[in-house]
Amino acid sequence: MSVVRRFLRTPEAIAGTIILAALFAMALSASLFFPGDPQAIAGPALLPPFQDWSLPLGTDRLGRDVLAELFHGARTSLAVGLAAAAAALVIGAIVGTLAGFAGGLVDEILMRTTDAFQTVPGFLLALAFVSVVGPSLSVVVMAIALGAWTGPARVARAEVLSIRERDYVAGARVIGMHPLEIAFREVLPNALPPVLALSSVIVAAAILTEAALSFLGLGDPNRVTWGGMIAEGRTVLRTAPFLSIIPGVTLVLTVLGVYLAGEGVVETTAVRRSLS
Amino acid sequence: MSNVTISRRAVLAGSAALLASTAMPDIGWAQTLKKGGRLVVAADSEPRNLNPAIVASNGVFFISSKVVETLAEASFDGKDGLQPRLALSWEGAADGLSVTFKLRDGVRWHDGKPFTSADVAFSALQVWKPLQNLGRTVFKDLAAVDTPDDLTAVFKFAKPTPFQLIRNALPALSSVVPKHIYETGKIEENPANNAPVGTGPFKFAEYKAGQYYRLAKNTDYWGKDEPWLDEIVYQVLPDRTSAAAALEAEEIQLAAFSAVPLADLDRISKVPGLKVITKGYEGLTYQLVVEINHRRKELSDLKVRQAIAHAIDKDFVVKTVFLGYAATATGPVPKNDPQFYTADVPTYAFDVAKANALLDEAGYKKGSDGNRFSLKLLPAPYFNETKQFGDYLRQALAAIGIDAELVNNDSPAHIKAVYTDHAFDLAVGPPVFRGDPAISTTILVQSGIPDGVPFSNQGGYKNEELDALIAKASETLDTAARTELYKEFQKKVATDLPLINVAEWSFISVARDTVSNIANNPRWAVSNWADTYLAG
Repeated sequence: MSVVRRFLRTPEAIAGTIILAALFAMALSASLFFPGDPQAIAGPALLPPFQDWSLPLGTDRLGRDVLAELFHGARTSLAVGLAAAAAALVIGAIVGTLAGFAGGLVDEILMRTTDAFQTVPGFLLALAFVSVVGPSLSVVVMAIALGAWTGPARVARAEVLSIRERDYVAGARVIGMHPLEIAFREVLPNALPPVLALSSVIVAAAILTEAALSFLGLGDPNRVTWGGMIAEGRTVLRTAPFLSIIPGVTLVLTVLGVYLAGEGVVETTAVRRSLS
Repeated sequence: MSNVTISRRAVLAGSAALLASTAMPDIGWAQTLKKGGRLVVAADSEPRNLNPAIVASNGVFFISSKVVETLAEASFDGKDGLQPRLALSWEGAADGLSVTFKLRDGVRWHDGKPFTSADVAFSALQVWKPLQNLGRTVFKDLAAVDTPDDLTAVFKFAKPTPFQLIRNALPALSSVVPKHIYETGKIEENPANNAPVGTGPFKFAEYKAGQYYRLAKNTDYWGKDEPWLDEIVYQVLPDRTSAAAALEAEEIQLAAFSAVPLADLDRISKVPGLKVITKGYEGLTYQLVVEINHRRKELSDLKVRQAIAHAIDKDFVVKTVFLGYAATATGPVPKNDPQFYTADVPTYAFDVAKANALLDEAGYKKGSDGNRFSLKLLPAPYFNETKQFGDYLRQALAAIGIDAELVNNDSPAHIKAVYTDHAFDLAVGPPVFRGDPAISTTILVQSGIPDGVPFSNQGGYKNEELDALIAKASETLDTAARTELYKEFQKKVATDLPLINVAEWSFISVARDTVSNIANNPRWAVSNWADTYLAG
């Protein structure tokens, strides 16, 4: 309880949490408020916002409800952001733990591979991957994770390097535990907190990367995405700027919210650590 | 206090002058004709091969038709819709085995060598027939070109070939290239393909990749007093939204081929100093077509195809996707074609209930999730409009219980997926109607075309009756009988729906008011611009 209270004492954490909560509410209630296909044609094309209260944010080039698209887009953005971050963290933690714990040649191979991935810009990697495999939601998640796992891998390795010298690891060795069991049951859980601290940055980056991919026409065309909405609106930027501005602002708020909430968590845990 | 007095008469006179200056047409007024000047035009693509004799496509013509000329050009009022260019007259033999061209005298290539019938013979036999994307079909039976003298070329055909077809093919397919430049080495690798040499009003001057193409005035041009302009610069602006801004900033004076997005036209037409022109593309009609893969069991059923045709609200497509700058289609020949179009074909009114009933009849009942079956839908990526229609079609199909999954590809991947791998169920394509169904239209439904030929029937459709009709029309010499056969062809296609024609559209030009003699022929954007000038 005190952790939560401490967390809520930082203003950025409060702001971040409110934004994130609103976002989750949007994503979860999308089917409730806007059942059916959000890409269905709902009214006249290019209706400006605040004209017709059944279509509060207006309609796009084909007459699709912008508000419905925004709600369903929140779902895609969050799903991609969370899934990509989870995948990146899992891959990164496993690679980092193996490298740090095994050492020697395994460490060399794994870390040089990590270096190789790190030298290629993550977005370029995602772009190449999606253009080759073809755009669909799972491919986009994979593509983003592909460029994001290196950070967690390096952090995990650094943690594992210090943890593996602890007494309880030596103890586990003495009682004859399998090295892999030691690595994943004793070492990894203790190496996780600093790795998890990276998650907010990764989620924010993943949401942005997804939007950028969709903007370039490499998102899943069967789902509404904010990046796709901005790209659609771009052709009518001069006549109907709201089509790009609305999803753009939502995107900014989301990334800000994720980042602020993440900062709050990091600060709270840092305080707790220093207290303990 | 100002001592200027304004009398009512002075105001009236002034406003009358003002009115006259705006009301007077700027065409044909000697005092506004001004020689010289540079026309800056927006270009949205940079074709690698600029030889129009090999690549007969609008992207190439847009630049190289000013450099390399054809035997004849399309015309609004000329006989058979043609006006002479390098050929002065053309005559078809009654047996359909030969066509005689009388060529223009005193024409010189840009390097000073004289233009003769040998150049025409070389272009026809060595370039159009074996290498040109469209010429391969039209000139397939061309056996020889006789050159009795320097100004006569006689095309000899192995099989009777309709003169009407050759005539209709002249504006797009008959770009003449110089023999003396192309006769050594491989034609496809000739450096002149990237810096064309022709007889046209403008010489190819330079090309800076990613920046511009520059054409300079040909002072030795055969047209009297032509060309009017000193040079034409094609400013490469790949981003479609930037063309409008460049026009407003007076960085460019002309954006052809709908470089300004349709949604922006309403706004830009109100900008002073700019005009929106919808004419000048009558001979370049694009068709919005739903290509169907007949290998899919469901789609090989005529009732299903009829249901899809009934599910598409063509008026909505014209109004919303094309913002009114298009027409609804009835069949494979566009409504604006003066020779072949017939309205006497089965039509499919927008009727969701009927579409649902047809699908029920065909035995595809709605499942518990409201879907009958799923399809893969591949919209062609070349135009915003084809992509948007893809989005619309997905919704239209959802309304009749067909779950369409959109697959987006870039251009090479789309061509490979549809025309080589056949990895589609429905595709949205923009084929071009080029003045005669035999040039690039019958190939869309004819069977027996090898895999990998783009913009052809790759949907596995086979209808022997239709094939026989196409074969018969291709060897019918009598113009009236041939036209009648193509009317029959339209009826058959509309009945059996090997593909679904949704709409027909052309392009829009936006130009500064000073650019004159715009759109004075049906292929203006891809014609030679010899008489275009900047009023000053």
